[in-house]
Amino acid sequence: MDHAIGDSPGAVKPVVLEANNLTLRFGGVTALNGVSLTILDDELLAVIGPNGAGKTSLLNSLCGFYQPQEGRIRFQGKDVIGQAPHQIAGDGLIRTFQGTHLFSGMTVLDNIMVGRHVHMKTGLLKSFCYYPWAHKEELEHREFVEEIIDFLEIEAIRHSIVGSLGYGLRKRVDLARALAMEPKALLMDEPMAGMNTEEKEDLARFILDIREAQKIPVVIVEHDMGVIMDIADRIAVLDFGSKIGEGTPEEIQKNEAVINAYLGGH
Amino acid sequence: MALQPSGVFFENYSHDKALIKTKYQWLSLAIFGIFLLLVPFLFGPRIIAVANIMIIMAVVAVGLQITTGYAGQINLGQAAFMGVGAYTAGLVATQFSLPFWISIPLGGVAAAAFGYIFGLSAVRIKGFYLALTTIAAQFIFHFAILNLPTSWFGGSNGLTLEPASLFGFEFKTDSSFYYLALIICTVMVIGAFGIVRSRYGRAFVAVRDDDVASSMMGINVVATKASAFLVGAFFAGIGGGLWAYYVRFVSVDQFTLFNSVWFVAMIIVGGSGSIVGALIGVFLIRLINELVTSIGPVVSEAFPFIGGDIVFAAMNIILGGVICLFVIYEPKGLMYRWNIMKTSYRIWPFPH
Ligand SMILES: Nc1ncnc2c1ncn2[C@@H]1O[C@H](COP(=O)(O)OP(=O)(O)OP(=O)(O)O)[C@@H](O)[C@H]1O
Ligand SMILES: [Mg+2]
Repeated sequence: MDHAIGDSPGAVKPVVLEANNLTLRFGGVTALNGVSLTILDDELLAVIGPNGAGKTSLLNSLCGFYQPQEGRIRFQGKDVIGQAPHQIAGDGLIRTFQGTHLFSGMTVLDNIMVGRHVHMKTGLLKSFCYYPWAHKEELEHREFVEEIIDFLEIEAIRHSIVGSLGYGLRKRVDLARALAMEPKALLMDEPMAGMNTEEKEDLARFILDIREAQKIPVVIVEHDMGVIMDIADRIAVLDFGSKIGEGTPEEIQKNEAVINAYLGGH
Repeated sequence: MALQPSGVFFENYSHDKALIKTKYQWLSLAIFGIFLLLVPFLFGPRIIAVANIMIIMAVVAVGLQITTGYAGQINLGQAAFMGVGAYTAGLVATQFSLPFWISIPLGGVAAAAFGYIFGLSAVRIKGFYLALTTIAAQFIFHFAILNLPTSWFGGSNGLTLEPASLFGFEFKTDSSFYYLALIICTVMVIGAFGIVRSRYGRAFVAVRDDDVASSMMGINVVATKASAFLVGAFFAGIGGGLWAYYVRFVSVDQFTLFNSVWFVAMIIVGGSGSIVGALIGVFLIRLINELVTSIGPVVSEAFPFIGGDIVFAAMNIILGGVICLFVIYEPKGLMYRWNIMKTSYRIWPFPH
């Protein structure tokens, strides 16, 4: 956070995550084409774009899962490209997944406890003995996890096997697991896809609450324009791997290129 | 194992983590424990010998359960890891006259090191190729033992050990060894439960279920998979050390690929991803094995025209058939079936 830029007049927020000129190719397909993006502290940035525009590729690059051939990514001033995904996650750059990537054989509680992994320390020898060290650690982190469970209102399913849950609840568990990691920035890939209106409203409320309470930036990839226009501070638009627009929801609604490429196409 | 009736839900997190939750479970466990303690008094030498083998194999199978059942890493080299433990324990016991309570743990550590090295090279590959790589562990083990100087591991002659002894008492008889093995096995099983219900155990299951998501949850996937091999091989090494002191003779042909396959069969039958399942699997497979070996001679005596060889071969085929039936009809093992029964009992009479 060595520099800061002004967002809206008067407000100067530090830069948390910054991507410069990212180009990512898969063979002949150019998934990202010179994309730059700046995410400021405590803002809700939405990334939109038609199918195959490169939104997931952008998130995957930001969290170190894809390695762009060109460009640079910095999270809290530290280079992302070149680090393993688990190291970046350990630094607090956390994402949720398009669809679900939960551990389907585990209970909801255990899934969320996996999110505490980076904050736990017990080694194999102490786990083997279990009492008292591992047990004590389990209980401490269980308490933290229970707060998240309360917050996301999933008390009733905490002992259910994730594989047996409906889609909406699974997405909520995915979010709970990410929160358990105490993210310093949260990236969410289509958290609302496949949800009904009520579930979407619930989730939008949770996302706003998270940002309010934790003061962390949230990047959200989403197709539902209605929700995006309501909750986003800023919107970036991707099309065929290039960023074709960026601005406040009002600006995006008026942007010709965006209307032609995206809004017009639907 | 008692069932928890409808409505027993827990307030307390500590209670939630407990393995044994109701007094019926405590009672059943106590009865089972007393039964185990009485085995040498209740049964004849043949059964006690079978029990000793079962206990030793239980340690090894529980280790394999952690590597394969929990962490999802196929391992067809568990017998080799057991062999490393047996040879190491045998070596330090004969060469340096170390007592069993040092040499058996050393066997575990040596096997863990061997397993970890294998794990590190094996974790980047999956499924079928991983299976092939772990088979290589089997061959490396054989090759090394047979080609290292005879003064180390005895080469093809094997190693002969003195009985384990503690304060002058020698665990020479099957009955006395039974208690030694039972204690060590109990410690190992409790340790396994400790591992699977804390940080590492969850990481093992996480990399099994979804290694991409695991890495983004901050789990070092390669290190975790290698650790799963380390833990599994440690258990195999402890089992191998016990074996060395039980049979008091160690040779390479006790730890073949064939034995490794049997260990896999045990966790398939008992149920993948369950410590208790591994124990049940060992019990059932060994039981069937023993029945086969005792029925075989009877059959060939009654029908001499068939010939002993054919009877034994047929018995092995039957045993293999049982495993195949399990893979086809009960691929998740007996523990899975048991858990379904338990759950439907707990919420009875409501079907969902
Ligand atoms: N791992 C991969 N290997 C090959 N091609 C890929 C890979 N990941 C993405 N692509 C390609 O990159 C382009 C962008 O895909 P991406 O998944 O990022 O789009 P998206 O904007 O997330 O689309 P959607 O709205 O459908 O989720 C597509 O053409 C896709 O086929
Ligand atoms: Mg996508």
